[in-house]
Amino acid sequence: MSIRATRTGHARPGAPRLREKVVSLPTALRLPLEAPESEARELWMGVHLPWLAIEALQASAPHAESGNSANAADPTRTAERPGATRNERTVVRPPPRAIMELQGQAQFVVATCERAQRYGVRPGMSMAAALALVPDLDIATRDVVRERQLLEQLATAAHRFTPRVSLVPPDGLLLEVKGSLHLFGGVESLCQAFEARCAEAGAKPFVTIAPTPLAALACARAGEPRLITQPSQLIGSISSLSLLTLRWPVEVTDRLKQIGVYTIGQAIRLPRAGFARRFGRAQLAELDRLTGRDSDLRERFNLRERFRHKRELLFELEHHEAISGVLEPLFEELGEFLKARQCGVTRVACLFGHRHVPPTRCVLKLAAPAANARHFAKLVGERLATLALPEPVRWCELRSGDLVPHAPDAKALWQPGEHGGGHSAAIPELIEHLRARLGHESVYGLRVVEDHRPERAWATADLASAGESKKTAPAPVRWRPYRRPLWLLPEPAPLAQKNGAPRLRGPLELLSGPERIEAGGAGQCSVARDYYIARDARGVRLWVFRECRSSGGAANADPHTAAAARAATHAWFMQGVFG
Amino acid sequence: MVAIAAPEVSSSDADLPSGLEALLRHPAIWRGRSAAQVDVVSSGFARLDAALPGGGWPRTGLIEILVEHLGSGELYVLLPALASLTRQQAARWCAWIAPPFEPFAPALAAHGLALDRIFVARTESPLWAFEQSLASGACEAALAWVPRIPARDIRRLQLAAEKGRSLGVLFRPREASRESSSAVLRAAVEPTEQGARITLLKSRGGSRDDIVLEWHASPRAKQAHGCAVRPESQEGVMNTAHTAGPHSDSSAPHVAPHFPSKGS
Repeated sequence: MSIRATRTGHARPGAPRLREKVVSLPTALRLPLEAPESEARELWMGVHLPWLAIEALQASAPHAESGNSANAADPTRTAERPGATRNERTVVRPPPRAIMELQGQAQFVVATCERAQRYGVRPGMSMAAALALVPDLDIATRDVVRERQLLEQLATAAHRFTPRVSLVPPDGLLLEVKGSLHLFGGVESLCQAFEARCAEAGAKPFVTIAPTPLAALACARAGEPRLITQPSQLIGSISSLSLLTLRWPVEVTDRLKQIGVYTIGQAIRLPRAGFARRFGRAQLAELDRLTGRDSDLRERFNLRERFRHKRELLFELEHHEAISGVLEPLFEELGEFLKARQCGVTRVACLFGHRHVPPTRCVLKLAAPAANARHFAKLVGERLATLALPEPVRWCELRSGDLVPHAPDAKALWQPGEHGGGHSAAIPELIEHLRARLGHESVYGLRVVEDHRPERAWATADLASAGESKKTAPAPVRWRPYRRPLWLLPEPAPLAQKNGAPRLRGPLELLSGPERIEAGGAGQCSVARDYYIARDARGVRLWVFRECRSSGGAANADPHTAAAARAATHAWFMQGVFG
Repeated sequence: MVAIAAPEVSSSDADLPSGLEALLRHPAIWRGRSAAQVDVVSSGFARLDAALPGGGWPRTGLIEILVEHLGSGELYVLLPALASLTRQQAARWCAWIAPPFEPFAPALAAHGLALDRIFVARTESPLWAFEQSLASGACEAALAWVPRIPARDIRRLQLAAEKGRSLGVLFRPREASRESSSAVLRAAVEPTEQGARITLLKSRGGSRDDIVLEWHASPRAKQAHGCAVRPESQEGVMNTAHTAGPHSDSSAPHVAPHFPSKGS
């Protein structure tokens, strides 16, 4: 980043001659100079990551290790931050670091940490020269894939601030933040919030604000934290920047150097037609986009549709607690992933890889879309406690199902249950929590079915819509409340009888009845029963019935005498217990 | 008991300074009989409301209902309160943890319970599910049928109910009355001819007498409606327990309502 070192006060001998040679301007390039607007239509945040190559290797390092050593990388990182270099408690300071890349025959430095830079190591140096300057230089090979991953991770995190995020590979990001300024309390605090978010991901960016994307990028690459919000200040602010910040081809910048043009301001002042002819129309168009004469369309960075993240472990893990600890950061990432998209998932799958056998799958199905990382971790923890793993775990992978739009929970003033407190959103969580441990079928709701047969008059209800507070019509009530028992046996239980009267640990006293229930018609489930409310010797009320296969007027007779007179084939059953 | 020795609050409050009076009205301060300002829900029975501290079942906390046999009327005692809890505006849920039989949905609906606010959890470990339901804050009330439970777990359940601001109802066998418990309310329920008799074994300032409730209308016992509160000794109540004689049917199936696995 030795941009400013190359700038010197050369004269510009070529400039007047160029202006004389202008014969005719191409009409396509004759753009009307618009009066500068007082308020910028767009404001772009330019993000330049000068240490991306180093940060990518560091950020991915804890992922490769197990959960216990994840914190070990932190002192390394803090030691390289400018504020933390004088930390006396850091006994072993890590050596200065440089990233090398093989270019042709030799290894060349492509990026250095700040300490190595202070020792004089510069990008473009050969490895031998760098080692001559700093003998204990820590040398690592560049990993382009990881750099791209970190850049995309930062772009994903940037969606917290604005939906319009563009990647500028290999080391830049562009965010359109005009609409977000009032949400984050102005330009300065927005930049600080973004820098803090990058620091969480282990990256240290240069952040600038400018009305055009190229201007913002150029300022960021120059390492000058400028915040330009007025279009009228734009040209004045960027004219002193080096042309190298625009990253034009080397031939172009070399030719411009030969005529003494080193800065953006000098290039803008050149005649347009001659500039286009000598240095290329692409460069002129770029200057137009830089100054806002031409619109600059940026491709948006699209977020991934599904979450999928794998974590390799250094050690094979057997214990559920340790595996839960490894999964926790994955769930945190999933939570961030969903939060940035304002989506939830109804299905989450965990895969645990083993050495010999195929991976174990652990699939969570949720009753309602959820986006809460803590909730996922709790559910998977319940599952893990009952999951039998065939072998120790070597890697974990977390995959999400399809994303479902999901409004984040709003915090209410009153807690649920307090007076005025709203309906609780915790019920889907509770039901999933219970189901994760007890099994899906063990937790169910109740509903009334229109049927005369008591065992068919109710059914289990699905709790999938448990989170919604929908109002269903109250079930029709055809009889007085105390005529039916509150408890129903799973199956009618046969009762013993003595002289035709039912017994259950002593004779049963029939209190009321009979009540004839006939249903089913000619089908195989046809039912004809005489129901009685009985009381046993302990005072408990039971609901008993007598099969009445012979149709007749026997049901209308006095129950005691009729029961005694009936044939023994008319068996007694108990079907319910009153509460 | 402190509750009995405490002076009558209505008479002593008259000459208190207003600031102290306001302080004493704080729900966290318990001053014997009626000073405890607890958030309650009406039990639906006027006699029971009069006997319960604060005039109804507490909205928060753990209560224990001890019965000799299932079906002694313990659920009928609770149903009106559950109906009003599930029918209220933006009601939370009512959890039935490990019920002994299937709750008969049409009968619950006939008693006014909102079925779309009820869920049933069948489990071998009811204590865990009960504690989760109470602490989650998603339940207005949670009912659990647990035959055996250590005293320290009751303390945990009580704390969970306070955390989730829900009413926990624990149905336990009658023998458990000998064990100590940290529940806010303990009541024994036994069946009578037309309803049930309730004895408050432990309450913060509730009545010590038996409460007789009637709901099974019977033409034979209309004259019994007059008695509101009938003091009766606890030992007398215990005599209604049935002892199976040698003449009882050995062929009767093992489906009689009782608590499973009493360990006897």
